[in-house]
Amino acid sequence: MLYQPDRSQYPSRKPDGSLDIDLSSGKYLKLWQGPQHPGITGNMSVELTVCGDEVVEGKTHVGYLHRGFEKLMERRTFIQCFPIVCRICVPEPDFNEYCYAAAVEELAGLEVPERAHWIRTLILEMGRINSYLMYLGGQAGALGQGVIGQWTTYVRDLMLDRFEELSGARIYHMFIMPGGVRDGLPDGFDQRMEETLREIESTLADVKDVMFNNAVFKKRTVGLGYIDPAIVDQYGVTGPTARAAGIAKDVRRDQPYLVYPELDFEPVVGQDSDVFTRADVRRRDLLMSVDLIRQILARMPRSGAVMAPLPNVLHWKIPFGETYIRGECSRGEYGYYLVTDGSGYPRRVNVRGPSYTHAMALLERLIVNCNISDVAALMVSLHTYPPEIER
Amino acid sequence: MRDLYDRLTMAFPLGELTEQRPDLAFVTVPREQLRSLLLHLRDQEGFTHLVLLTAVDWLEEGHFQLTYLMNNRRACRDLGVRVMLARDPASMESIHDLWPTAATYQRELREMFGIDFPGSPRVDEDFILEGWIRTPPYRRDFDTLKFSDEVFAPRPGRASSDPAEFMKQQLYPDKT
Amino acid sequence: MSLSDVLSPFSAWKNLFRDPVTIPDPLNDRPGAPRYRGFHQNDVDKCIGCGTCEAICQNAAIDMVAVAEIATKQGDSGLRPRIDYGRCCWCALCVDVCMTSSLSMSNEYKWVDHDPDAFCFIPGVDLKHWDSAELGYRRPEGHRLTGTERVPMGELEPEARADSFVEIVAGYDIEQAKLEADRCVSCGLCVATCPTHMAVPEYIATIRDGDYEQGVRLLYQTNPFSNVCGRVCTHRCETSCAARHEGDAIAIRWLKRHIIDQVPHDRIKQIAAEGRVSEPSRHQVAIIGAGPAGLTAAFDLAKAGHGVTVFEALPAPGGMMRYGIPEYRLPYDKLDEDVDVIRSMGVEIRCNTQVGKDVSIDQLREQHDTVLLAIGLHQGRSTRIPGSEHQDVVSAVELLRRITFGERFDVPTTVAVIGGGNVAMDIARSLARMQRQQHGQVGVTLVALEAEDLMLADREEIDEAREEGVVILPSRGPRRCLIERDAVAGLETVHCVSVFDDQGRFAPNYDDSDIQIHDAGLIVEAIGQAADHALLGESLTEALEWERNRIRIDADGRTSESWLWAAGDAVQGPDVITAVAAGHRIAASMMEAFAGTSAQTH
Repeated sequence: MLYQPDRSQYPSRKPDGSLDIDLSSGKYLKLWQGPQHPGITGNMSVELTVCGDEVVEGKTHVGYLHRGFEKLMERRTFIQCFPIVCRICVPEPDFNEYCYAAAVEELAGLEVPERAHWIRTLILEMGRINSYLMYLGGQAGALGQGVIGQWTTYVRDLMLDRFEELSGARIYHMFIMPGGVRDGLPDGFDQRMEETLREIESTLADVKDVMFNNAVFKKRTVGLGYIDPAIVDQYGVTGPTARAAGIAKDVRRDQPYLVYPELDFEPVVGQDSDVFTRADVRRRDLLMSVDLIRQILARMPRSGAVMAPLPNVLHWKIPFGETYIRGECSRGEYGYYLVTDGSGYPRRVNVRGPSYTHAMALLERLIVNCNISDVAALMVSLHTYPPEIER
Repeated sequence: MRDLYDRLTMAFPLGELTEQRPDLAFVTVPREQLRSLLLHLRDQEGFTHLVLLTAVDWLEEGHFQLTYLMNNRRACRDLGVRVMLARDPASMESIHDLWPTAATYQRELREMFGIDFPGSPRVDEDFILEGWIRTPPYRRDFDTLKFSDEVFAPRPGRASSDPAEFMKQQLYPDKT
Repeated sequence: MSLSDVLSPFSAWKNLFRDPVTIPDPLNDRPGAPRYRGFHQNDVDKCIGCGTCEAICQNAAIDMVAVAEIATKQGDSGLRPRIDYGRCCWCALCVDVCMTSSLSMSNEYKWVDHDPDAFCFIPGVDLKHWDSAELGYRRPEGHRLTGTERVPMGELEPEARADSFVEIVAGYDIEQAKLEADRCVSCGLCVATCPTHMAVPEYIATIRDGDYEQGVRLLYQTNPFSNVCGRVCTHRCETSCAARHEGDAIAIRWLKRHIIDQVPHDRIKQIAAEGRVSEPSRHQVAIIGAGPAGLTAAFDLAKAGHGVTVFEALPAPGGMMRYGIPEYRLPYDKLDEDVDVIRSMGVEIRCNTQVGKDVSIDQLREQHDTVLLAIGLHQGRSTRIPGSEHQDVVSAVELLRRITFGERFDVPTTVAVIGGGNVAMDIARSLARMQRQQHGQVGVTLVALEAEDLMLADREEIDEAREEGVVILPSRGPRRCLIERDAVAGLETVHCVSVFDDQGRFAPNYDDSDIQIHDAGLIVEAIGQAADHALLGESLTEALEWERNRIRIDADGRTSESWLWAAGDAVQGPDVITAVAAGHRIAASMMEAFAGTSAQTH
């Protein structure tokens, strides 16, 4: 460890509890990391106050990506909201599509066909793999290992090819619609998917050798960014970040949705709750997704409807109601809170992205006393995507 | 959920329970009781996870609805606690001391809905919008179309015809 | 930490000997997936310009624009979608919702241009190299965002209706109507096709909203005969319906009927009277004939404050709606309701008053500012085949009139009907009912000149007639009526090979080797009707300009005499809704003529 175990009394505080930082003393320096900075995840920035190379205070600033989706949706009919929700999270857009669709279906009383549930699960797991691959590249990159990012980007691209042939698009798939999914699997999809999965597995084996079994990586990440399991609920921590702290929180098992009750899996858990453990939990979770995709493809029905009969979507009205739909995305609990008022438009949509809590309150807490060179690694280890903070 | 509701109603003046799913229900509580109810839920009933805190603007009825969505992971269920607030001036007690993460939600609500949470950390700092001086944008009386018409210029050359109107002009223009 | 942690990372060097994974020439070698959602394609011949794509586009990326080469016609607005790729988000909802499947997306996704405005174009019109791309996103089979199947209409089963004149069609209940109204995409293509341009999308919307009074209000803006048209309209609007291309057309006629069925008659009267001019009438109008044309004009004129008197030769108003259309299709009390609304507007209807006998047309002219002639076609045409002068060879209109009068006459056990139009079906089905009542069985044979698929009657009329036991024989021309011992015994027909010659003129071509004889104690001719112009008198007949056997009228319905207008079947035909449209037009034209002139003093 580079620091004294207990640095909590540093810097000192004023009697009212606020930090005693006098910038004119020359001891402190204000430093902006982001919004354009290779060590930042997406478009956000952290306002750091450093003393020497140690961070004494960090404030997250967002606002570079705000498009007001929640408000835009209040002006769009229920079907018109479907193409915009995916844009709330670029690397893993499918959770937006699923959560929104499921919320609309629940309030509108639509019965989604069984086959659509399987295809949705497949898509969500494919998206999870993509998101983790992007994360692994970022996590390694934050510590200067550019090569990992090149490898994971390559296999991620293969998965994007699978997305393209399944949904007709690589990034914003717009495939999970209220009512079901647009179409079934294309011919020969299983085989090409199996080839992709093998490529991912082999790449991950390399990643394990080069990134995880790596003295430098271990030295930099073990013990960094410790999250006390006791604060997990206080800070709304979910997903792999919570599981790395030994808390087996996984919506797929706790409140199963889609076809997860029929799949065989156990949440991946770690114990040390540091950057290394979080990375490792994600790597193992990724391999579990590979296994889940194999299970899904082996067991999913191959014929039957993929869409529930919809009313005329041009004047689709949904009765008064409210609901919350959640799913376990690669970063934690993703959820949609949808309120309807009997009109053809949502009254209110609130998107609960895991980054909202992770990148704000949690990061601001963890960043204190961190070495400035570790800020990027710490931030990436929370696996945050700014668009879902601002929406 | 009924069992929980029955236990809670002994101590709190709750509104009707809306059971949306077996694992999700909503209930309304007077604003004065919110804090004690949340504490009770957190410490006695295992609802330790604040999933989200957000607002719904019921402009026509003249109030805001705050929704505190609480999750009990062990029991695998959620309770949405609703509080109705007057719209102007809208103000609510802060719960950042119960869940530090609530400060972020409250900051956003302050900015987007104009609901104040006195005492919440950095609540008056800009969150997402910088230098916003108009109506808080997530209020229903903020007209996004009007805003965009005022602020942005449309692409020149865009114009559309209504099929029925166009057919009238083409096929029976003389009639009114 | 171990030694392996130091050595293991060096395994990355093995990639030194691997081929690159990047595609060397992405500009040529990487077609989009077969389902790729790339640049739009539009089959402009299939496209009907309904604008549904524009309506569903969440980003306002689509404009409907006029295209020089594409003409506006019935069922096709002539507009085509133009897509602004500065806004398009490639969601393909426009493809999913397209009513004709004309719109699709190619798998082409690369396009570089220095001009930003080039990225706003009309697919299919502004030609692009991907217009013929085989691959790309097409709406998957069965993937529909608007309802495709018409809500079935409750009807009496053939057994229940075959011996009764009770109305066959039950009408939608509220739930059914809402479902059917939900399917409408509100494009409005039907409005131009409707002769009187009813506000179809708007009144269908009132069903969805449950606002039936507003529905009635909209109906009365263009049509005072919604009870009638809601039942027997030829619903040409439905042939222009966007939904018919890949599914059933919206049941516009039944939805109209549903609206009028939901509102109490007294309330309908109040709504119809909204906006009525209350000042005492200035001009006086005489209308000859209380059919749809005459009564519509009467409604408009009376509502505008003019004095209207309608002269009707028959005992009750309605014209062909009463004396031509059988009761099982249009119950008399429903017709009476429509007429009652018109009367309540202050229209005076004098029944049993025959112009030319009880009152002369000159008198009408003297006592009124203007006169409308709307006498309809109440004389049946004859085939003039041998034997057709016999008293048991009768015209359909005459027989239908007698049935409406309630005359109880004996129908022979076998009847032959000549004609393939709706009137032929009406009389065949009416006589079949009477036969079943009188003899317990049906013996009606209907012969039509046209082939089955070219018959003029509505398809449902043909099908229902067959269900009720009428034998329908297409492609048969009448040759002669067989008379035995002074009584009609049968009809001889011959196979008709074709009805029209190469120039499209009526010139039936028969195959004389195929002759059939149909037993018949009564032969009914339903091959067309004529107007009885005797009431005009010699001098007026002389003075008027004629076009073949019809009075010549201009677009406003004016004859060559400045005080006389003419409308209805007698001058243009062919159905109620056309007559209603003519009635409106004439009322407007008369009022235009009144403007600036003072009323005659009477």
